[in-house]
This record gives sequence, structure tokens and C-alpha cells, in this order.
Amino acid sequence: MVDFMLAAVVSAFLNIGLLGVAIGTYVQNLRVIRSYYTSGLVLVAFLLMIQNIVIVLFWFTLYMDDKALMMSADIVAHYLFAINVIQTIGLSVLVWITRR
Amino acid sequence: MQKFLLNEKVKKPQKEFFISYTNSEQSLIGGLVIFPVFSIVQLIPKNMFSFSGTENGQSEENPRFKMILWMFVAGTRGGANRARILSLIKETPMNAHQIAKSLDLDHKTVAHHLKILTKNEFVKKGEKTYGAEYQLSNIMSKNQNVLEEIMEKIGTK
Repeated sequence: MVDFMLAAVVSAFLNIGLLGVAIGTYVQNLRVIRSYYTSGLVLVAFLLMIQNIVIVLFWFTLYMDDKALMMSADIVAHYLFAINVIQTIGLSVLVWITRR
Repeated sequence: MQKFLLNEKVKKPQKEFFISYTNSEQSLIGGLVIFPVFSIVQLIPKNMFSFSGTENGQSEENPRFKMILWMFVAGTRGGANRARILSLIKETPMNAHQIAKSLDLDHKTVAHHLKILTKNEFVKKGEKTYGAEYQLSNIMSKNQNVLEEIMEKIGTK
């Protein structure tokens, strides 16, 4: 059986990587074009990155605490998996558009 | 993209906002009962996504095109160079080699940028197979003040 919780966290790390690539590109553009638009793009990508970091922290808290919490977390793990995988797909499209 | 952006003159502006293509009340109610999800789509005003930024086409600037150009320049790698290429071929059409020389860029880079610009219909490619000249497309040359606004931001650094 697939461990949904682990897969969700792997996809969260992937999201962080993809957002790092996007932020890198946006910052390069921000250094050339200083405007509300470029700084807004950096801000949005940065906030999404914080969201994914919080998801990883959430996973750590769940699994480091105790067994009972872990069992109940596994029941709803596929929802977190779906959320993260959909975000990964969306972000890969964004990065593909950005970097081409 | 361009066809959508240019079609504002062909169609006359829609006056009624809700459900212009369901004629009778009955069909609307039936639709709402049977297909609730699809009926919500019908409730969206028809001209919401029609890219007609201006009603009569008097003002040249199209706010939606402005958004697209900003995203293209600010949100892609090498966007600033793409804006420079666009402002360079604004007056005189040039080929890839001339652009590379006057912007002091690699020829390969310029060729790639021009390929992407052509794909997104910001520029038009000439007929010649070798050393084809590029010029601004219709929609791009209509909205040149947007480009100037962006170029000002690049200039100030």
C-alpha cells in the first residue's frame, strides 16, 4: 500500500523546489524591472513556499509526537496527498512556462 | 490569442448581462434543476471573457493585453530582453542577426526569444526563409504605450 503521508511530504518538498526555481527567475527579473508587478510575483511565490514549509512542519509534528495521533492522521492522509499533488502539477506548469 | 483580442469590432457590445442564449424562462429553470453545474456557467456574463477591453475601440490600450504583456515580460526568464527586442523592432523590422548585434546578445538567445515571441503572437515573421525580418503584430503595435511603460521601468533600474 502506498504511504500517502510520505508521498504527500515528498510532493511538498517538490513544491518547495519548484517554487525556489520560480522565485529565482522572478528575483532575476525584479533586479532589472522594479515594479509592483515583479515584486508581487516574488511575494506570491514566497507565500506559497511558506505554505509548503508549514505542511512539512505539520507532518513532522504529527509523526514525532505519538502513535495514536499518527494512526488518526493516516485516515485522512490521502486528502493531503491530493492537495499537494495537484499543487505540484500546477507549479510544474508554471515553472515550464516561466523557464522556457 | 490575437483573434480573440481583435474581435471586439466585429461583435457589437452585449447589452443584456444574464443568459442571452436561453430564450424562455422554462428552459432556464429546467436547466437549473437538471444540470445545476452547467447552469452556473450560463450565468456568467457572455462578454466577461471576450477580451474586449474597450467598448468602442476609441482608446488604444487594452487592459487585458496589458496584463498578458506584463506577465510575459515580468514572469518569464529573460523577459527584460524580450521587452528590449520588442521595443527595438517597433519602428524598423529587423532580422535575428541585426537584433543580436544591436542588443549585444548571443544569436542563439535572440533566435529563441523570437521563436517564443512569434508563438505568442507578439511579433510577425517575414516571408523570407533565410534572414527573415520580424515586426510587431497588430495587437502589439496597437498597445505600444504598454510597452513604453514597461521600458521606462527597465530604464530606471
